[in-house]
Amino acid sequence: MINLRQRDDLRELRPRFQAMVFIVCLVFLGLLGRLCQIQILEGDHYTRRAERNFLDVVDVEAPRGRIFDAEGRPVATNRPAYTLYITAWARFTRDGEAGVVPSPEGKRMVMDDETRNLIVSLIDVVDDEDRDTVVARIEELRSDEAVGKYPQVVRRNLDWEEFARIQARLDTIDPWVEIRESSKRYYPEGVLIGFLTGHMGNIGPRGLERSKHLGYRPGDRTGKTGIERQWENYLRGRLGRRARVVDARRREVDEPPHEAVEALPEDTDPIPGQDIYLTLDLDLQRVGYDALSEKLAGGVVAMEIKTGKIIAMVSVPGIDPNLYEQPISSATYQAWANSPLQPFIDKTVQEHFFPGSTYKVVSAIAALSHPEFDPDEELECEGYLKFGGRTFRDTHVHGPMNLETAIVESCNTYFYQLAVDNILSLDRMEQVARSLGLGERSGLGLNGEVRGTIPTEEFEAREGTYQGGVRLNSAIGQGNVKATVLQLAVLYAAIANGGYVMTPYLVDHIETNEGKLVFTSQPQRRNDQPVIDPVDRERIHRGLVGVVNNEDGTAYSERLPNIVVAGKTGTAQVGREKRRRTDDDEDEEQIEGWDTSQDHAWFAAYAPAENPSIVVVAMVEHGGIGADAAAPIVMKVVNHYIGQSVSETKAAPRPYGVPPPLPGQAKAKLPRAGGSTPTGAAP
Amino acid sequence: MSDLLGQPRDLWGRLRQSIDWVVVLLAFGVIALALINLNSAGKGDWTGRVATQLRWVALGTVVMFVVTAIDYRVIYRLAYAAYAAGVGLLVLVPLIGIKVNNARRWLGTQDYRLQPSEVMKVLLVVALARYLHDASTRKTQSFRTLVIPFAMVLLPAALIINQPDLGTGVMILLVAFPVLSVTRLHLRSMLGAGFAALVAVALGWRYMADYQRKRIDVWLNPELYADDEGYQTIQAIISVGNGGFFGRGVDQGTQNVLGFLPEPFTDFPFAVYAEEWGFVGGAMALALYLGLTLWSINIASQARDRFGALLCTGVAALFFWHVAINMGMVLQLVPVSGITLPFFSAGGSNVLTMMVGLGILMSVSRSRQYRA
Repeated sequence: MINLRQRDDLRELRPRFQAMVFIVCLVFLGLLGRLCQIQILEGDHYTRRAERNFLDVVDVEAPRGRIFDAEGRPVATNRPAYTLYITAWARFTRDGEAGVVPSPEGKRMVMDDETRNLIVSLIDVVDDEDRDTVVARIEELRSDEAVGKYPQVVRRNLDWEEFARIQARLDTIDPWVEIRESSKRYYPEGVLIGFLTGHMGNIGPRGLERSKHLGYRPGDRTGKTGIERQWENYLRGRLGRRARVVDARRREVDEPPHEAVEALPEDTDPIPGQDIYLTLDLDLQRVGYDALSEKLAGGVVAMEIKTGKIIAMVSVPGIDPNLYEQPISSATYQAWANSPLQPFIDKTVQEHFFPGSTYKVVSAIAALSHPEFDPDEELECEGYLKFGGRTFRDTHVHGPMNLETAIVESCNTYFYQLAVDNILSLDRMEQVARSLGLGERSGLGLNGEVRGTIPTEEFEAREGTYQGGVRLNSAIGQGNVKATVLQLAVLYAAIANGGYVMTPYLVDHIETNEGKLVFTSQPQRRNDQPVIDPVDRERIHRGLVGVVNNEDGTAYSERLPNIVVAGKTGTAQVGREKRRRTDDDEDEEQIEGWDTSQDHAWFAAYAPAENPSIVVVAMVEHGGIGADAAAPIVMKVVNHYIGQSVSETKAAPRPYGVPPPLPGQAKAKLPRAGGSTPTGAAP
Repeated sequence: MSDLLGQPRDLWGRLRQSIDWVVVLLAFGVIALALINLNSAGKGDWTGRVATQLRWVALGTVVMFVVTAIDYRVIYRLAYAAYAAGVGLLVLVPLIGIKVNNARRWLGTQDYRLQPSEVMKVLLVVALARYLHDASTRKTQSFRTLVIPFAMVLLPAALIINQPDLGTGVMILLVAFPVLSVTRLHLRSMLGAGFAALVAVALGWRYMADYQRKRIDVWLNPELYADDEGYQTIQAIISVGNGGFFGRGVDQGTQNVLGFLPEPFTDFPFAVYAEEWGFVGGAMALALYLGLTLWSINIASQARDRFGALLCTGVAALFFWHVAINMGMVLQLVPVSGITLPFFSAGGSNVLTMMVGLGILMSVSRSRQYRA
């Protein structure tokens, strides 16, 4: 049958089996030795390396400090949002049939086009340009493995819908995409105080370069305007660090092995940013905003005359700062940039205007400082004045005028005459204007304040515009006299408080997250002695009271029933050149009611007239007659602030239990804790 | 036949006597560890790969006992036919084989597939054993008797290397080597073979594909390629080292659980095992494999005839090389190649092949000299 012998003699094979046993034992001993070397002798080294694999230390963003109004109502807070991270170089690849698979040998593979397009399609983009920036960002990560192998921020502030959409597709894009929770800035009042809170934006390369020691990271958001920018260092807080266990995809593991957890270093908690309490009264702000919003463009400032606290500060039009938390389409941005209303510009500080007749108080004080000037002497107003071959016009024939009636009825000719008589010289006016805070920044430090201009003879000579007539124009706030709304508020506050130029401020105090006071503002006067003589002040004051309360006053029609207001109207003629330019420029966007040939309307006032507490200045760009366009706005604000008359506008009443502040002791509750001194001026 | 061996007549008694309990104990010790480890590598999943592997083990156990029950002289009779069938399947692979992970090595469907190169290992051992047994009966050694066994080895090896699957191809050569050396080769010819192998490697280097050359480069300097090709090697050795003396505990190895170790199911299950069971567990697994290898050699030395001895030598070689190369790969002693660790690596063909090997072992063991 089978060719097998029953008993084969295998004894001759013995030595060979023995040799095999020897070799096998030797090899296994070798393996055991190697195991011993790696696991016992070098075990600690490899344990460290294993830790380096799973240990990931991430920054914990500090919540940004919030901003509140004087009553503690929030105007800038934080809201949860989502941030999209992409790892362009992952140890995964996409397989046509099997979906996402680990790459061969665990090699890093670059994200494929299909995945990229899918990710881009899951994001809400506002326009093509926005899409391009997302694609460009991903391409940047794809082209650089050294950067792309770590999760990098691609887009911030995803909303819930985007988050849900991405979450639903996570099974196909998970190796490359991670969404982390973050927070975004939220402004509950939006555009209402948009210029004051300011808005946030990504830090640019130049910003990074300039603030190396501050530890900003690319893609961080910083305050770009307003309080957000001015007080960035207070609001920002300090990053914390958190160690976490991650898997090979660098995703945090829910239930890591306990030994991994024990290996984690200790966390550092973030230090939240400090909360800023403004001097601003939201209700008053709203009254001012609502009143001003009926116009196209302009600004309103309300300030306490004794302290310089700003309680309302409105510029119209504005942009809701919440919009900056999402990408803005270039079409929208272009529309803003091209708008003749200039929504980027804070009309209260960032742009100066001819103050018009509101400047006459400066001229009056300058005239009163002239020893030969008699304020009671009457000059005849014929409705115009001829000087140097030119005719300087007035609104109408006022008849005989003295200083007080000239202010009450806003007679130009009276001041022309003073200029012609050399009682008003440029130098004299300039001196008074500067002493009252014009021509210089007020010190608020917000939104790139401009200085305004107060002409001197040298200035006019340099500009090549000096002629005798300049003096006449300057006397009525035209020519080259320019001031901001805030500067006029400071000026009228000085008249109201007896001659003290206050430095306006908006930040009342700053607290840490735990409520510890770190900064308190103190009212600051710019001069120790009053800049106006009490007698002169009284004379001008009478004139200002007359403007509103005298039947001939320019703002008589706007007077309030129960409150005596002192103020001055202004109707600043806009240069003829400007008019012509807009006529020629047919491409300019046409806005209904926006007529650049119209004058700027001003009204500056303080109230109550005797023992005043508040100064309010309103300016309506191309609003026409000051008394018609600007005065009602001021009156509404005053009415609300004093809060004793029957409100025509039904403005929101003060909250229950909060009495209207008494003049002089308004909001006098500083300093709070143990007389702490200010820790520093505005950064 | 059983009458000749004087075995009991009742089934249970026969089974008990015909089963080599040392083999069963050692093998199922390894299988138990392997299944626990596979579960761990699958992040605690008992349903997927572990269940599949368990099914293969169950099927393999049946096959093992069937082979055990067959007198190995039947195997002798079928040896050449089986070998021819194996070569036939290998020839079919490039024609109708299916691709998995970009390699064409399988026959069948995606779900039910067989890797002929795995099965070929044991078929080659059987055929080689028969030829060498037959040759020993002839007293003269002609040139022909020297060339034919080499041809028998080189034919499947060449077919497999051509797939391309260098690892398994080399494995065929390695498994055949002890079988040949037990009976045929003398020291002189062994030295000659060794020299020939060196020359072959030197020549082969030129014809090696770039990725194969790179593998050797990576093996020598893994840190240079830490982020790419060397990632796997480095993560494996970190896993082993992270195990320490007592190990991290099952399901607690960070390298494995957190997914830093690629291919934990096929090429690197021992890294998972070493991390979670530590040096103690590693030594235990080594001891089991060593026991299995040595016991196979023991059975070989006690076999009734050359055919049985050669079969057992082949099975011993199969286990030995798989363990030595796979562990050596994990421990960075040899370059990375797709050599599996018996029972630890997920894969049906491999389990089945090893089980057939164990069955042959027990079949030979049944008719050992001193047992009779």
